[in-house]
Amino acid sequence: MKSAVLAACALALTAIPVLAHHSFAAEYEANKPLTLKGTVTKVEWLNPHVWFYIDVKDDSGAVQHWQCEAGPPNMLARNGWRKDSLKPGDEVTVNGFRAKDGTNTANARDVLLPDGKKVFSGNADDAAPKGGNKSNE
Amino acid sequence: MRIRILLACVLLWPAGVFAQNARANAAATEIPRMPDGKPDLSGVWQRPFVADMSKNARDQQGEPNLPYTDWAKQHLIEEFDYSAHCLPLGYTRGINSPMPVEMVQRPDRIVLLYEMNNTFHEIFTDGREHPKDLDPSWSGHSVGKWDGDTLVVDTVGFNDKTRIDTEGHPHTEALHVVEHFRRTDPNHLAYDVTITDPGAYTKPWKNVRTFTLRRDWEIMEYNCEENNKEVNEGHIK
Repeated sequence: MKSAVLAACALALTAIPVLAHHSFAAEYEANKPLTLKGTVTKVEWLNPHVWFYIDVKDDSGAVQHWQCEAGPPNMLARNGWRKDSLKPGDEVTVNGFRAKDGTNTANARDVLLPDGKKVFSGNADDAAPKGGNKSNE
Repeated sequence: MRIRILLACVLLWPAGVFAQNARANAAATEIPRMPDGKPDLSGVWQRPFVADMSKNARDQQGEPNLPYTDWAKQHLIEEFDYSAHCLPLGYTRGINSPMPVEMVQRPDRIVLLYEMNNTFHEIFTDGREHPKDLDPSWSGHSVGKWDGDTLVVDTVGFNDKTRIDTEGHPHTEALHVVEHFRRTDPNHLAYDVTITDPGAYTKPWKNVRTFTLRRDWEIMEYNCEENNKEVNEGHIK
């Protein structure tokens, strides 16, 4: 488990998402990777980027609301995801980067379900299909 | 008369079958062509996302040492993220974008249909030149000429409101973009783009890429405005 966390951190540190319609650096801190564990409360499968909202309990048990930016719906769809691939009530671990403005806003590099499966992977920097369809590659 | 035609059809039929088989075998390696013999570049092309044209990445080679002018060195920081505000990306950022582009070819023009922002651009291949006294525009004016099987596209007439790539490399209204498109086999297209802009770069520089045909893809809907939280909530000014 510890190695999985380390691996996730290493991935978050090395693979900075490159966003298509705005620069990553304008909104997020590349040197402030973070990990959030929480419960999904809402998913907005909308252009230009999918957003989902999670409730995260802090050390004192208080709930903090976070919003996380994922890839564009067209590119997520090409990678095999659908609007209900992530649903309210899902428990997730998000590895990402915090917004520069200090709000509870993050760019989600990885979204992991309790069984370790990734959801909504393949960000805007990653047009290549993930498995499945290998034609013309 | 009708009997003679039928007879001719029966006699020629086996030859037709052989010809079809030969064509099928050739189709595996030969590139499709237009009725006028020019290569047909039509199709939905998957391209590398080139966020930073000075870096190498999968399917693309960048120019690591960009020859900045003094003006460019003073304008490397993009103060206003115009693409976050849903303004047009500009010509080079359109072809750099991570989402596919469909090329639709006619004898007199090639139309680029960009999934990114669902926009389009026309490349005129009917022999016309650039208009004189072009008003500066976001995507410029493009004419294409065939050099053998290579399409050479020349684009000028840009405004200075865009950046060359997502990273934010600057340019001036003097930007001149020359691209080569060559279909190397049925599924791949060799692409290179040369940036010439004496206002921002002391000499021309180049970026080389490979595009892959995706017969299984359609251009999908994408827009910038629907839920643009970055700007609407002020995360990006």
